Amino acid sequence: MKTITGAALAVAAIWAGMGATPAPAQQSPDLLRNSKIVIDYIDPRIAKSEQTLARLQKRQVLEELAQFLSPLRLPRVLRIRTKSCFQANAFYVPSEWSINLCYEYLEWLDNIAPKQTTREGYTRGDVIIGGYIDAVLHEMGHALFDILSVPVFGREEDAADQISGFIMLQFGKDVARTTIKGAAYSYAMSNNPRTRTEFSDEHGTSGQRFFNYLCLAYGGEPAGFKDFVDRGALPKPRADNCPIEYQQVRRAFAKTILPFVDQDMMKQVQARQWLKPDETK
Amino acid sequence: MKCIVSAAACMLAVTLGMHATPAAAQLGPERPLGSPNTQTPPNIQVLPNSQVEVAYVEPGNAGFRPIYDKLKRRQVLEQLRVFLSPLRLPRKLLVKIDQCGAVTSPYKPGGPVTICYEYIDQIERLAPAEAPPGSPPREVMVVGAFVQAVLHETARAVFDVLEVPVWGRESDAADKLAAFIMMQFGKDVALRTFVGTAWFFEASERTWTGNDFSDVASPEAQRFYNYLCMAYGGDPATFKFVVDNNLLPARRAQRCAGEYQEVRYAFLKTIMPNVDQNLMKQVQAMEVLKSDDGR
Repeated sequence: MKTITGAALAVAAIWAGMGATPAPAQQSPDLLRNSKIVIDYIDPRIAKSEQTLARLQKRQVLEELAQFLSPLRLPRVLRIRTKSCFQANAFYVPSEWSINLCYEYLEWLDNIAPKQTTREGYTRGDVIIGGYIDAVLHEMGHALFDILSVPVFGREEDAADQISGFIMLQFGKDVARTTIKGAAYSYAMSNNPRTRTEFSDEHGTSGQRFFNYLCLAYGGEPAGFKDFVDRGALPKPRADNCPIEYQQVRRAFAKTILPFVDQDMMKQVQARQWLKPDETK
Repeated sequence: MKCIVSAAACMLAVTLGMHATPAAAQLGPERPLGSPNTQTPPNIQVLPNSQVEVAYVEPGNAGFRPIYDKLKRRQVLEQLRVFLSPLRLPRKLLVKIDQCGAVTSPYKPGGPVTICYEYIDQIERLAPAEAPPGSPPREVMVVGAFVQAVLHETARAVFDVLEVPVWGRESDAADKLAAFIMMQFGKDVALRTFVGTAWFFEASERTWTGNDFSDVASPEAQRFYNYLCMAYGGDPATFKFVVDNNLLPARRAQRCAGEYQEVRYAFLKTIMPNVDQNLMKQVQAMEVLKSDDGR
């Protein structure tokens, strides 16, 4: 589960891209179909989320998400839905094989996103789009572990973050920057434990999750994320270990997830432009 | 009862006292990885794992000399070689006790496994010489914490040598594998090792803020709860007291059976194919911890 301190794929240029029309398909979308992924925008229970729903639908977030995930060979039908949860969260429900994305989570991101680009270079678009994509990908991680019976030795919440961070890095520098920054910012804006008991949470602390994302990114793309090390956002002692951490995740992905990915479809997905430049500002 | 070390350690000690009986009598009926051959005498000769090499490196710091002498006399690493005998390793692995210049020397791909004198020294210094009433016996603290350290570092080497896919932070994964192993030798071994481990993480706990959270290792409090969760998840009857006494919050406790099963599945899927089942039963039937260990 994505707690507010912790957060869930995709696609999503929602707020910043408000008013933007769906990205023109560079490939025929017919080729990116997967009958095992079923999407649903559930009507909100809260009036103010009507607007959130309208924005998601206008940007065709779930439709694009389904295309993005189309290379997965899933043995079960995975349901992905947006809905009201009465909490800013996102979660995977094993009994339904379903990913549930709460309208409130997107509204929370809208709330914490800086009005103006911060001194460290976080844009409003980074936080809303990247934060949302992180929430979706994190829950996708839980879904994949469950549906594909993936062996998970470590803490599953961290493992789901690793899936999310790893996928973010496979679509070129711009997608990587926006999504990693957005995820990192959402954790930087959340609290670390204030009591000892809070360390019993199955999620890592916000601080751990913030550094985990930056570390995976720097480990995978040292040139693209060196600035985080240079300005001390990712401390040197941890940075030195990040290439090993990235390789660990890459190997785990190759061994446990990649056998379930259609390689030809994956190439098409990777060749496509998922985020438009004006969405990440 | 006056609890000196901490409330948690106190409760653990009380329960340990309730359960502690000779090790051999404790091989319970529930055994996730198959029953040990109870016909096997506890002192059976199991040959050491020939792929595991061990070394006690003489410490430069004279202060560590007593630790060096004791471990060597107790043949701790030789016992580890026997303990690891069921594991089919495709290449040699060196396990050594060495002076590191730091408390830990985390495993790097290729090895070796290093247990630092500094770490053992920290355990010995934190454990009171005379266990005050209410805290676990010093022997349980020292042995449990030491076994945790050895299993944790060895787990990382096993991931590397067997090319096990590791999801999650590697050091947490090593803790979970270590905890899983600690659960496979009956109640008495589980109680002693988990009590010692939990005591150590509590006694060595420091305050974490800001950039502390960038550490590859996890906060002691997190590790404390991870271990207790594995214990409770694997054997709820024996470890019910950790929930009853709120050492493990109920909210986390309800997920622990699932967490244990997740690790068990990962073990069966990735490591078990490299384990000799017959040798494992023999090792499970051995007296892996003796009551005077740690003295």
